[in-house]
Amino acid sequence: MLATLAPHEAPPIVDATAVRSPRPRRVGALVPYLYLLPGLALLAVWVYRPLTQTFQISFVSWNLLPTSPARPVGLANYERLFTLPDFGSALGRTAVLILGLLPFTIVVPVVVGLLARRVRGRAATVYQGLVFAPLLVAPVAGAAVWQWLLDPRSGAVNQILGTTVNWLQEPGPAQLAIIVITGWHVLGFAVLVVAAGLAGITDDYAEAAALDGATRGQITRWITLPMLSPTLVFLLLMTVLLAAQWSFPLIDTLTHGGPAGATTNVYYLLWDYGFHSFDAGLGAAAGVIFFLGFGVIAGGLVWLSEKVSIHDN
Amino acid sequence: MTTSRAMTAVLSVGETRRPVLGHAALAVLGVVCIFPIYWLYATSFRAPEDIYSLSPFPWPLSGANYATAFQVLDIGGLLLNTTVMAVGIALGQLLTGLLAGYAFAAWEFRGKQLLYLVFVATWLVPFQVTMIPNYALLSQLGVLNTIAGVVLPSLCSALGVILLRQHMQGFPTELLEAARLDGRGSWATLWTVVVPNLRPALAALGILLFVNAWNEYFWPALVLQRSNAVLQLGLRSFMGSEGNDWGPMMATAGMACLPVLLLYLVLQKQIVNGFVRSGLK
Repeated sequence: MLATLAPHEAPPIVDATAVRSPRPRRVGALVPYLYLLPGLALLAVWVYRPLTQTFQISFVSWNLLPTSPARPVGLANYERLFTLPDFGSALGRTAVLILGLLPFTIVVPVVVGLLARRVRGRAATVYQGLVFAPLLVAPVAGAAVWQWLLDPRSGAVNQILGTTVNWLQEPGPAQLAIIVITGWHVLGFAVLVVAAGLAGITDDYAEAAALDGATRGQITRWITLPMLSPTLVFLLLMTVLLAAQWSFPLIDTLTHGGPAGATTNVYYLLWDYGFHSFDAGLGAAAGVIFFLGFGVIAGGLVWLSEKVSIHDN
Repeated sequence: MTTSRAMTAVLSVGETRRPVLGHAALAVLGVVCIFPIYWLYATSFRAPEDIYSLSPFPWPLSGANYATAFQVLDIGGLLLNTTVMAVGIALGQLLTGLLAGYAFAAWEFRGKQLLYLVFVATWLVPFQVTMIPNYALLSQLGVLNTIAGVVLPSLCSALGVILLRQHMQGFPTELLEAARLDGRGSWATLWTVVVPNLRPALAALGILLFVNAWNEYFWPALVLQRSNAVLQLGLRSFMGSEGNDWGPMMATAGMACLPVLLLYLVLQKQIVNGFVRSGLK
């Protein structure tokens, strides 16, 4: 197989760091810790303290009011969580959201990236400028303009398509709308990440394979795509971990999780439990489960990305 | 398998010397991506009676929607608050990142790997998991519904630490050594040698952090529930489920995006590179 021909150079998603050289050592042993202190103190207060507290709150019943006492309830919150239908359906909808975003974060960027490999110069800069811009639009502003575009009576989308869909008030269309708007925000970013990945692949192997009589299709399938795989795993990781976060502002402003819960994903559910139902224990239990679940998924994908890199070496 | 074959067959067509298909694909994508932004500004400049017009170019141009937006909302105050918030967060993250990055790049010390992991691992902790305890703490500190309440929890970001560490590891050791032989302490070295030499990198990262902070939604939405004191939240007051006032809403949305889009016009390359190399949060 041609794939075995291809030594791999990871695309520069993150700066390649310079080779480490010896640093001055004879400064007081405490000094580096002092420089770390402000950052560590902030993280201790705003990330690790609340994380431990979330674990604790998940074992109590509490309505978030400082005046009312928290009552220890053991595992009751977790039991309640797993018997509530909301939880399973929010997980399912998050999976739908992630799958629905993959065309925007992987499929279209790869297709366009391969088609446009030879587009260079000023034209490329202009295209880049256009496709990347949505990422910089403030989420609520993006939500506002899409609400206008999707307005059932006078919105541009219905008028252009000749339809009368009530996009944000019907379950199916609302889910689709949230996926498309989220996808619109991140598509250009993914296109440029893929372009950077492709630019990092040397032409040598493709040329060697071409000399051996490989067709362009074979070269793409057996050389380019395998060499691009670390970039693709990176995009997959981002999509899985951040899809629910990216869509949160849109859901909070456009659908409030509705209609009939159709756009309630895991992060919106946490928000809902904590600040609409004021059920801190249940919200914390859900938070713990999601945190652990996403941690495991992230670990798996990082493992996968290391595996593809070694495989290509 | 067959689908991937079919796909690669299609793809290979594009890799000709004159990439017509490539231009076409990028042009279509570019138009699709930019259209909502164009429509936002086009609507905002239509005269109120033309709001429902679908003509691609708003004519005659009108500032009436902006005037209404300024009457309904204290746009000046919201802009100021949003700027203070975004600048405060960006500067805070730049400073904590600079100090921590310096420690990681210039010294060997016990627990270095572990402490670095402590910074990086925060990437895995979403706001939604820590929000209830943090909200309670902000309430005890009495900073709910203030800009300080938004800025305080965001003063340190893993992104700032990771990127500044990378930049400083590329920093020539000889310069640090020379400063030490000069008898300068590490603090003086940081500000007189490292920072001046890292100025371009610091500026680029500062812009990235500013853009992120400006567009942050979740935390301001939680902390500023009552006051709605930043632009993104002010904009929500136009977004009812019924009877939207589209013109002023688009005008406000346009102003909420304007500072970042203007920065982007001037510094497209730096901003794109910043995001593509560092990923998204």
